[in-house]
Amino acid sequence: MSYRIGVDVGGTFTDCVLRRPDGSLLLEKASTTPNDQSEGVLVGLQQLANAEGISLSHLLGQTRTIVHGTTTGDNTMIQMSGAATGLIVTRGFRDEVEFRRCYKEDIWDPSLPPPPSIARRRVRLEVDERLTAEGVVETPLDEEQVRKAAVRLRGLGVTSVAISFLHSYLHPAHERRARELVLDEWPDVEMISLSHEVLPKPPEFERTSTTLVNAYVGPPIARYLGRLTKRLAEQGYAHELLVATSAGGVATSSSAARRAVATIGSGPTGGVSAAGKAAAAAGLGDVVSVDMGGTSYDLCLIRDGRPQVKMDWNWFHRWCIAIPMVDIPSIGAGGGSIAWEQGGVLHVGPRSAQSQPGPVCYSRGGTEPTVTDADLVLGRLDAKGFANGLMTLDVAAARAALAAVGERLGMNADETAAATVRLVDAHMTDAIRRVLSLAGADPRRLDLVAFGGMGGVHATTQARALGMHRVLFPRAAAGLSALGLMSADHVIDDSRGYISGWQKADLAVLRRLAFDLESSARAELAVAGVTEDRIELEWSLLLVYPGQTFDAAIPVDLPSDLEGAVAEFHRRNAEARLIEARAQEPMLRGVRLKAIGRVSQPAPLELDTAADLQPIKHRRMWLDNAWHDDVPVYDLATFPPGAKLTGPVALQTPFTTLLVSPKDVVTCTPGGDALVELRH
Amino acid sequence: MAEPLIDAVTATVIRSAMETICFEMATYVSRTATTPILNQSNERNATILDATGRLAALSVGIPQFMLSSTLPVKFASEFFEGELYPGDVIIANDPYHGGGHLPDVNVFSPVFDDEGSLVLFASIQCHHGDTGGAMAGGYNVFAKDIWSEGVRYPLLKVIEAGRERRDVVLMMRANNRLPGFIGDLRSQVGAAQLGAQRLQEVIAEHGVRMVREAVEWSIDDAAKRFSDEIAGWQDGTYEADVYVDSDPVGNKDIHVHVAVTVTGNRLIIDFEGSDTRQDISAWSTFGNTRGNVVAQLASLVDPSIPKNEGFFDCIDLRVPLGCCLNPREGKPVSSGTHHPGVEVGDAIAIAMSQIMPDRCCPQSYKFGSPRQMWGDVDPRSGQPFFDHGGEVSAGWVSAAKGVDGWGALSASNGNLIKASAEINEQLFPHLLRGRNYLTDSGGPGQWRGGCGSLFVKEVRTPTRVNQYVVNQRHTHPGIAGGSNGSPDHCTVGTTVVNPAVSGVLLDTGEQLVYRFGGGGGWGNPLLRDPQAVLDDVWDEYVSVGGALRDYGVVLTGSLEELTLGLDDEATERERKARR
Repeated sequence: MSYRIGVDVGGTFTDCVLRRPDGSLLLEKASTTPNDQSEGVLVGLQQLANAEGISLSHLLGQTRTIVHGTTTGDNTMIQMSGAATGLIVTRGFRDEVEFRRCYKEDIWDPSLPPPPSIARRRVRLEVDERLTAEGVVETPLDEEQVRKAAVRLRGLGVTSVAISFLHSYLHPAHERRARELVLDEWPDVEMISLSHEVLPKPPEFERTSTTLVNAYVGPPIARYLGRLTKRLAEQGYAHELLVATSAGGVATSSSAARRAVATIGSGPTGGVSAAGKAAAAAGLGDVVSVDMGGTSYDLCLIRDGRPQVKMDWNWFHRWCIAIPMVDIPSIGAGGGSIAWEQGGVLHVGPRSAQSQPGPVCYSRGGTEPTVTDADLVLGRLDAKGFANGLMTLDVAAARAALAAVGERLGMNADETAAATVRLVDAHMTDAIRRVLSLAGADPRRLDLVAFGGMGGVHATTQARALGMHRVLFPRAAAGLSALGLMSADHVIDDSRGYISGWQKADLAVLRRLAFDLESSARAELAVAGVTEDRIELEWSLLLVYPGQTFDAAIPVDLPSDLEGAVAEFHRRNAEARLIEARAQEPMLRGVRLKAIGRVSQPAPLELDTAADLQPIKHRRMWLDNAWHDDVPVYDLATFPPGAKLTGPVALQTPFTTLLVSPKDVVTCTPGGDALVELRH
Repeated sequence: MAEPLIDAVTATVIRSAMETICFEMATYVSRTATTPILNQSNERNATILDATGRLAALSVGIPQFMLSSTLPVKFASEFFEGELYPGDVIIANDPYHGGGHLPDVNVFSPVFDDEGSLVLFASIQCHHGDTGGAMAGGYNVFAKDIWSEGVRYPLLKVIEAGRERRDVVLMMRANNRLPGFIGDLRSQVGAAQLGAQRLQEVIAEHGVRMVREAVEWSIDDAAKRFSDEIAGWQDGTYEADVYVDSDPVGNKDIHVHVAVTVTGNRLIIDFEGSDTRQDISAWSTFGNTRGNVVAQLASLVDPSIPKNEGFFDCIDLRVPLGCCLNPREGKPVSSGTHHPGVEVGDAIAIAMSQIMPDRCCPQSYKFGSPRQMWGDVDPRSGQPFFDHGGEVSAGWVSAAKGVDGWGALSASNGNLIKASAEINEQLFPHLLRGRNYLTDSGGPGQWRGGCGSLFVKEVRTPTRVNQYVVNQRHTHPGIAGGSNGSPDHCTVGTTVVNPAVSGVLLDTGEQLVYRFGGGGGWGNPLLRDPQAVLDDVWDEYVSVGGALRDYGVVLTGSLEELTLGLDDEATERERKARR
């Protein structure tokens, strides 16, 4: 028997979840240490050990698996503190990454600054070489130019090199040879990223941009993981550290260091995967998960139990990262959104107080009132028990800040707080609608899964406005991300480009690409210790109609079933689109493999159904645009399966609260989660 | 009318809901259309209008076209007075009944309250790939009149009270070359129906009175915020002249003249004096001219001001009938939509830079026409091919105060995702030899114009080319003392394009070489931070010679040897001597 640990680093807190051999869970939160996240991680692990009453080395010695979600890559991009990176490209394509296919984030703002540069033009060098679109060498690689480029980049202070040649995904020999030549001239270069290894598919901008980001964040992530692995080993941890990836699974730390770009955006994936499992356990169908934290608001559409995955046109920190990523749009600043006045009108967001200085009530120097301050003034948060007593909230300061904004609008603190909450709920509701419309999903057919520190405070109001009928609030809502990481599967989601009219496509080529994908995925999973019987392969073929920019992944049983994929592609388009597309023959763009190494899931915990259900206190609070005196507050941990309560009521855990409006009914599922049925 | 009941919070909530509905309509088209230009490049705009066609909310694809729904809807509400029913969906594309050019098709649906009174319209406008007419593609820049450009649909009820008019659909299908046209149209119809249904829900939730008042509140809010900004501008009349090199058939120096008068909190924008030659082929319809005016003005003010009818309420727009910016019915408009259409924005930016240079940056491009390349046989497939161009090319990116021009600008304003070399080379028999920035092509300024680029396409089989090129003499303007960007220059094989070629043949191995011009600079180049000039030379946006010639900056060492440095003293001397 052994322990399993999930560690999720957030903006404010580092969450550590421990699963004991008997299946029970323990959650601890430590402050995040932004400069070196591994310090906060070790503090959190020490807290777990203390709570277990054993030493850290004893705990880690008995731990079989640690899964870690790190935001080191995201922070590197936010601070633009990555490696000094250079780029070698095909002659004529030096400026591809700067053109960005003409994309600009805000077309209304002529003063929008350019994105911060990863490799300025001086460190983007060209060499003669050229392949045709058939993968045939048209101009051989000029080896002398590659050597010269390496020398020049070193002279310019570069430490990490990206190489991206046109059509290299069809014929990688030039990129491979270029790596040998650079290493020959410059054996101690810190890292070389080849575009066909990072993202072996067209088009050139997406592949080159992704490769550059990989080269940029790779060295710091490798150093960070090296540091953490060493610290854990010193404390007695004897197994491979697993790291969360943006594809919604985990990878070994050595693989994550090589393909570091895959850790960017991985932070929220754990919560999403746990939300999907909780929804399935509660018998819900398709859901939207909402993770509302003190300073973030992330959501994800989960269909058939699977979080939606997006690739190609993914933009993070103003760079295109085209690898498959769980699609978790961040649509606002959560509790950190600032309430402000302009032109006699109250606005909420999009500016955020972030974790520093944070809401006024955190007493960390924030002076502008936020949604969290409004919730506090409206009695919706517990001033004393916030974050398990890690923090006492300053109600008077929050009230004063809201009153100051309200004064210019003829409103007092309570009225300003109520208007703030109403506006943020409306904005979040609209934002959810927008995200769902992109996926063609109708909110009235979905349920909501709410988690994160603030998720339960706003969830029922927003779900009702969207026409939803049920809200699930997992018992472990405050630590769901870490919990999700702990039980996440190994996921390798990779593809190979092959462009051809589908009828002309050479199935032998397709089979070779598929074999290549499968063997490298199996090798990787073997390193991670996944046995053959736990591997599942999900194939899809990438298809488009001629002229379309973005391809669709059509699931197939076998990668050679091109005919079946084309039929399904037509069918899906006809179904979704009323279109007359049969006149067009689809193009094949490539083959994709999602290889999943299943992690064994523990048996569900037996819950005490006889617990005595008594309110722990009563509080006056604002619900559904009205004050309610003496709203009973229950401890969610003592809410027994099968129990039922009618709102107004609040259910609390040490780290979070679920608010239930008048006449809504909340029951406890067999798994111990709270399920709210909304009246309409 | 009774005292309004609406409060600012409720009005904000309703406005946000309407903007979201616009987004949902636009997204519906992206998800369901077949044509790449619709489903992948954002060339669609969704709007919500009140019962008289006043703009209440929008979601923007292309800024210049954001307003082109208002005039057709206004026309429909007058034309169909008393004859609009719940479930109607109407189609309109006629440049001479409020539209821009024929490929832009408006589809809209009225929304009624329980008592049957008209409250709102949900409208979606999209660009289509064909319009019928003499030439495929909807861009017949050589057309002599509007009828040879394609079929005009001033107003068609494609769905009447919820029932599709099969005769109308048949007629539209028969007048278009593309098999996907009706599918795309249905996608638009679905979007308009979705918008109408969602607006119905908003009315049910808030009540029709609140919704009507929220629209008024929102328009008043925009008008107030816009007019407050105007009130801060110095009163007076500011004029500018801008020229297009030539129309596609060779008439030179198409002239746009504007006089912007600031008077209190209102603007008079008068185009009296613009080109009135009647034999030219460069006509921007009134709707298109108006859209370009407002898109440029919107870029001068706080971007958070909602874009709605409130903007128009502050502007007295005067465009004499018969000039190139408001043609008499029948003139062709394909090429004029772009030129002189976008020069309207240049003219306003230059005029306003006399009093508010800090905010001025032309929101325009110098696009000429789409580059069309076609041939009988792609040797790889044996099939004919037709390439609409559409790869990335950089150019015409002007600087704004504080920001050098950056990235690549395509029509329009960076909201089209452009095609890539790797995929286009799969589809068409050519090799893209390069598209790098051109050194010294950005207009010098305190902030430098973005560089133009050298685009070289080599054909692998005999290929014919259509191309119209502007910006060869009248280049992208500098602002506030900044210089113009470099000129465009294009050769097709050995033929220099000036101003247009039609069906020129390239033999296997020959090249189309297009040097795209740079953007205009902002401010006096002698005030540019010498360190920024040094950086530009390191990055080869500017040459060592250009640094001295255009910026008065003297450098030492060499780029090749990695020893480049600033000679501060010599730079100061040089700059002093030129002041």
